[in-house]
Amino acid sequence: MTEEKRTPRVVFAGLASCFGCQINITNIEQHLMEVLGQIDLLYWQLTSSEPMPEHYDVAVIEGAVATEEAEATVRKLREGAKSVITIGACAATAGIPGMSADDHAADLATVYGDTVPAMVAQGATSPRAVKDIIPVDLEVSCCPIDPYDFVEVLQHALYGSNAYRHSFTLCGECKNNERGCFYGRETLCLGLVTRSGCGARCPNLGRPCNGCAGLSPDANVDQARRVAERAGIGVDTFDSAVRIFNQPEVRA
Amino acid sequence: MPDVQSVHVAPLRDDTVVTAGNQLMMANPYRPWPARITSITPLTETEKLFEFRLIDERIRSAFHHEPGQFVEVSIFGVGEAPISISSSPSKSGFIELCVRRAGEFTQRLHQMQCGDIVGIRGPYGRPFPYEDMKGHDILLVAGGLGIAPLRSLINNIHDERSEFGNVTIIYGSRNPSEVMFRDQFEMWRHRKDFNLILTVDVPDDTWDGEVGLVTAPFAHLDVDASNTYGAVCGPPVMYRFVVEEMRKKGISYDHIYMSFERHMKCGMGKCGHCQIGHQYCCIDGPVFNYWEAKNIQGSM
Amino acid sequence: MLYRVMDGSELPKLIDAFRESYEVIAPVQSGRSVAFEPISSFDEIVLDYPTTLTSLKKYILPPKETLFEFSVEGADITDYTLEIRPRVLFGAHACDINALNNLDLVFEDARYPDPYYEAHRAATMIVGINCMPTASCFCHLLDADEVRSGYDLFLQDLGGRYLISIGSVEAANILEAACDIREATDEDRREFRRLTRQRQEAFSEDIPDIQEIPMLMDAFHSDDFWEDLGSRCLSCTACSAVCPTCYCFDITDTLAPDGKTGKRERVLDACTSPQFAQVAGGHNFRASGRDRVRHRMYHKLNGFNSKHGRYLCVGCGRCVRACKADISPIEVLRFFERKGAEDA
Repeated sequence: MTEEKRTPRVVFAGLASCFGCQINITNIEQHLMEVLGQIDLLYWQLTSSEPMPEHYDVAVIEGAVATEEAEATVRKLREGAKSVITIGACAATAGIPGMSADDHAADLATVYGDTVPAMVAQGATSPRAVKDIIPVDLEVSCCPIDPYDFVEVLQHALYGSNAYRHSFTLCGECKNNERGCFYGRETLCLGLVTRSGCGARCPNLGRPCNGCAGLSPDANVDQARRVAERAGIGVDTFDSAVRIFNQPEVRA
Repeated sequence: MPDVQSVHVAPLRDDTVVTAGNQLMMANPYRPWPARITSITPLTETEKLFEFRLIDERIRSAFHHEPGQFVEVSIFGVGEAPISISSSPSKSGFIELCVRRAGEFTQRLHQMQCGDIVGIRGPYGRPFPYEDMKGHDILLVAGGLGIAPLRSLINNIHDERSEFGNVTIIYGSRNPSEVMFRDQFEMWRHRKDFNLILTVDVPDDTWDGEVGLVTAPFAHLDVDASNTYGAVCGPPVMYRFVVEEMRKKGISYDHIYMSFERHMKCGMGKCGHCQIGHQYCCIDGPVFNYWEAKNIQGSM
Repeated sequence: MLYRVMDGSELPKLIDAFRESYEVIAPVQSGRSVAFEPISSFDEIVLDYPTTLTSLKKYILPPKETLFEFSVEGADITDYTLEIRPRVLFGAHACDINALNNLDLVFEDARYPDPYYEAHRAATMIVGINCMPTASCFCHLLDADEVRSGYDLFLQDLGGRYLISIGSVEAANILEAACDIREATDEDRREFRRLTRQRQEAFSEDIPDIQEIPMLMDAFHSDDFWEDLGSRCLSCTACSAVCPTCYCFDITDTLAPDGKTGKRERVLDACTSPQFAQVAGGHNFRASGRDRVRHRMYHKLNGFNSKHGRYLCVGCGRCVRACKADISPIEVLRFFERKGAEDA
């Protein structure tokens, strides 16, 4: 069989994260077998403690890179895989682990006091997004991911797609839900700067966007700060909300 | 009771009542028709020439294109892409597309083999004014992949050579390995009825053509301006400079034609992606004359 | 045009008559704003409503619509039927009807009539109603405050009674069968004229009335103003989402979870979306906010005009409220006013 005709071999790796995105993939329930039918699933960290196999085509990574070992893992995955997919906010922007990126040592001290346990201190690095270590081909956004988004992105890796990955921010999708805007109610919402794609799910449920899809590469943060200020929400409040899912990027 | 309105799209069946290909195509202009890859010719590292044949005979015989037009090609599941037609209308029954591996769609197409099936709908777009060009001298300037739509025009002129005056073709590439249709052009270099000028930015040891930009040959070009049609296609930066040279030679605004590249997603003047100013590249173009182009904000 | 007068108390009967054979869409209260939604009784309708958050576009040109389905292995489409239930869009304002009339010019053109759009349009009856301008309404400046065609019925509230323009046989039959109607009198016509004048005078005077907008759009195409406006753009596309005349779309394929079949969809897109004018290989013909915002305004206030002889923008003011960065056609009109003052 030629290389192109072989069933694509897929591995899943979990780094610093809650593993919730991997778990959420199983929530497609009846479709899970259909998805598995298209791939040769060689390794799934959520369900295995065996070592990673040597050869594969697609590497799926959940979690932030927070140790030297994890950094070595993602470099190895990049070398071995034709396509690297990150799933979830932790992998995409360092997410929740990334909140400690600003001053990692100080955060460790806050938790452990003067004596940071060796198993924690050893090899620990300031949490980083996977794309800050290696080039990433495709990304499934949000915390947690939508499992159908994952299927779409996996199929994109398997079969190709000429669909754009749009970078417009959330408000356009939100308007389609015909919900009023939080800014009219002096409520902070990060839809102004957060990448669309989720269908403005939280605002549609009555909750402001917390930015879990990450800042859009085309986010106009300065203008959004002005909007927040004018709406009676301080710029500091806005910035600290953005930092929850975008710590490394805000620092940069 | 008011009627429920419906749009029905059905696969091709032998027992379809409609027998005219035109009717089939008009019924739903978004519907691509199965076409088989019948030949693949590698041209350069990144470009291949594909030959397609529409499978259904009714569609095949209803398909007529003119130089400068494009089709929308579908790979089901991957998406759709506009690609200009490289074959001459003087040869019917097949469609040739010159495809650069530039994105995921074209990468997928490059992996396909003879016998594989894609979808094709079209042709779309305003072509070169081929009939008007007859009886005149022709000056064609192509840069890089710009040769793809111009090849349709060039081959059409070739097949009806006696209808035209002097024909000059200036074709510029970055380096010799990027020259497309090299076999065909090598043969033409010694022909008396085509003034073919191949030029590259960066030559290698084997290169015996010209070196420099596509505008350089204009310096020693003799043009009967009042009797000449110009046609230009190439990367966005090229147009202004080439058109300037044609104007310097005295060719009228409305005798200089250019084909623009935009992302024509629907091909039917609706989706908006190919808009240049107020014009739709897909129905008002992709071929515009220089006068029209000057009057479109943001065209060049 | 045929005119009739109907007592206000007859209106519920008209709605009930429509509901017998159609799904009726009407303005209803939704949170703090008003939205067009299916109704099950007349009482839900807000007759005297300010402009809705989004427009009626969603019923003719849905945000997402399947064009056909396909088999990957078979490399061909499979049997697919889109069925559209007959609908009445009740309570459309003049600007929104004019907006649909503009969309007709694009989707019902002679050369490539769009079968999906045509089916939606053919299944849809439109009943308009008069309105009073809000602070962000400027339809009168763009010749969209009155509607001359494109509706089945248009109701003008004369206070306790309606003057009804009847635009289609289908609607006339339903109206005549369900409601008690009479000929319009001179008194009705006088009242109609008085109310029309009253409405004309109610438009905000803060929005400048600019002559020759298309010419000015061309003349100031390179002005720094566009950089100012574009640099504020949040790239959120809310403007296009709420706009009744933004019709641009993307065409994408989505596979079923098993990867064997899929559907090709038309998804509404926006020229203010950063990737909109990008071509294969990555070149973006409108890479900056300046270029994108200018293009959108250009199409609304000039480009469509040069093709179809009318503004694409109908002055409904939805984008004025939706844009958190204060980018709107009104800002463009104000810019032209400033330019005029500078020259004077």
